[in-house]
Amino acid sequence: MNEQPRTLYWIFLGFVGLVISLYVLFPVFWLFLASFKTQAELAQLPISFWPESPTLEAYKALFSPTHQKGQLLDWPQLIGNSFFIAISSTVIVLVFGTLAGYAFARLNFPGRDLILGGLLISRMFQGAALLLPTYRLMSMIGLQDSLIGLVLLYSAFGLPFATWIIASSLREIPKELEESAMIDGASRLQSMVMVVLPLATPALITASMWHFVGAWSEFAFASILLESNENKTVTIGLASFVELFTLEFQYVGAAATIVALPIMLVFFFGQRYFTRGLLAGAVKG
Amino acid sequence: MLKSDRFLAYALILPVVAAVVAFVVGPTYNVATLSLTQVVMGMERGFGTLGNFKALAADPVFGLVLKNTAIWILGGTFLCVTVGLAVGTYLAIDSRMTGWLRALILLPWVLPDVVTAMAWKWMLHGQVGIIGQTLQSSGMTEGTVSFLGDPDLVMWVLVVVLIWRKMPLVALILCAAIRAVPDDQMEAARMDGANAVERFRFVTLPNIAFSLTAVTVISMIWITAEFALPWIMTGGGPANASQIMATYIYQQSFEFFNWGVASAMSVINLVMLASIVALYLYVNRRSWASEGQK
Repeated sequence: MNEQPRTLYWIFLGFVGLVISLYVLFPVFWLFLASFKTQAELAQLPISFWPESPTLEAYKALFSPTHQKGQLLDWPQLIGNSFFIAISSTVIVLVFGTLAGYAFARLNFPGRDLILGGLLISRMFQGAALLLPTYRLMSMIGLQDSLIGLVLLYSAFGLPFATWIIASSLREIPKELEESAMIDGASRLQSMVMVVLPLATPALITASMWHFVGAWSEFAFASILLESNENKTVTIGLASFVELFTLEFQYVGAAATIVALPIMLVFFFGQRYFTRGLLAGAVKG
Repeated sequence: MLKSDRFLAYALILPVVAAVVAFVVGPTYNVATLSLTQVVMGMERGFGTLGNFKALAADPVFGLVLKNTAIWILGGTFLCVTVGLAVGTYLAIDSRMTGWLRALILLPWVLPDVVTAMAWKWMLHGQVGIIGQTLQSSGMTEGTVSFLGDPDLVMWVLVVVLIWRKMPLVALILCAAIRAVPDDQMEAARMDGANAVERFRFVTLPNIAFSLTAVTVISMIWITAEFALPWIMTGGGPANASQIMATYIYQQSFEFFNWGVASAMSVINLVMLASIVALYLYVNRRSWASEGQK
């Protein structure tokens, strides 16, 4: 290739890249900008791009118990609930996923591959079809409208994938390391905790990040199970704006920013682990 | 093998298996039996009837739901994979920009559905939405377009949003597959005088065929399971024009309390999912077989 087509080629590539970045970023960015605009500005035509007089009024309103919007739903409480659910179910998934992952990777038992396959397939059936029976189950055992119920449900949904990620990473750690620790007098448990787990840390981080993001974002099951206002989560709070607001999109923007923020932080700081799990998870759905 | 090892193994996996049995297998069984039970106002009145399925078939909305679900799953999967392949091919090029984009592009994929739904609802707003305004001011449409209010348009608009959300992962998986295509094959094709299109058709495509099939089936599973996005954006409206299986199940269960019809629809949905999963296992049999040998 001579010089000129080569330059054109790179310009073309750069242009395509710009279009893709715009496509990916714009919807989120636009909602973020809306959160700083005033009511009048949002309704005016032609549309103003940057906020004319940026204001934090929408954020203040959501957190102020005296403001009309803050009275509808207690946002600090919603955030607390979502963190409680996401963090507790992540801990559960991590602990039991590690135990089961260890068994699948290290121990030989009848039905091992069949059970692991069955667990993975169960992941694919967690859609709208299970909403009604889950609702019935939860009301039957008295865990409807309870944060604990949601923690258990999300843990059950998340465990198969976490188990699989952890098991695959444990398989790659040489057995000899563990065996030599056991020869030196460590018990199976000791060698697992002291020798194997530190080496599996990246997989543990991947599994917990994935689970946290999924649990924080979940909407369908939370919306059918949680009834009282003090039990609601951030996704339900955000979704409730559908009926309530028409052009008051500054509040929607502010709420959406609050909901997206923890996820964005996890995403940007844990990029490396995230992609790893993604490509691993993709193979098995 | 030590016998104690076996007991230890079962004890270690017990919590995971129990959780899945309680919250996935149990409810699946429960909804299947419910669909064969006559239910009146949440009270069960007799097992062993196909009445719920008959009622569902007689529901005038049912045909519309099937049509919309077909657009949603087939249209969505097709566009997801074709757009994903195009973007993935671009991302596979070696440069600083594509490297950076490979990280950034996952953003739509990790954002909560509810946030995505709100962001697009705002952009698609009938009066002050930026997409409608841009189209109007550039002269492509006369007046504003009610993207989510037009029964002929709404399903396809939802598919576009779905693509935004699901395509990135498809693109990344295909990008990884394309980057794994052996260099020597590419080089040989180049020496033989193949142009870029021919190289893509005869070298890249055969090499990524497996990933492409797998990713198509996986997208189908994701899209069949997707509920929050269409529900929050339209709630199935206007007048059921965007009612798909998932939103219909939700509406019948928790707004109309029509548990009989809802459970019948859930079972149809599960059977569909099971067929796709079976297809997935068939496509993926190669990697399952190798798994067992580890």
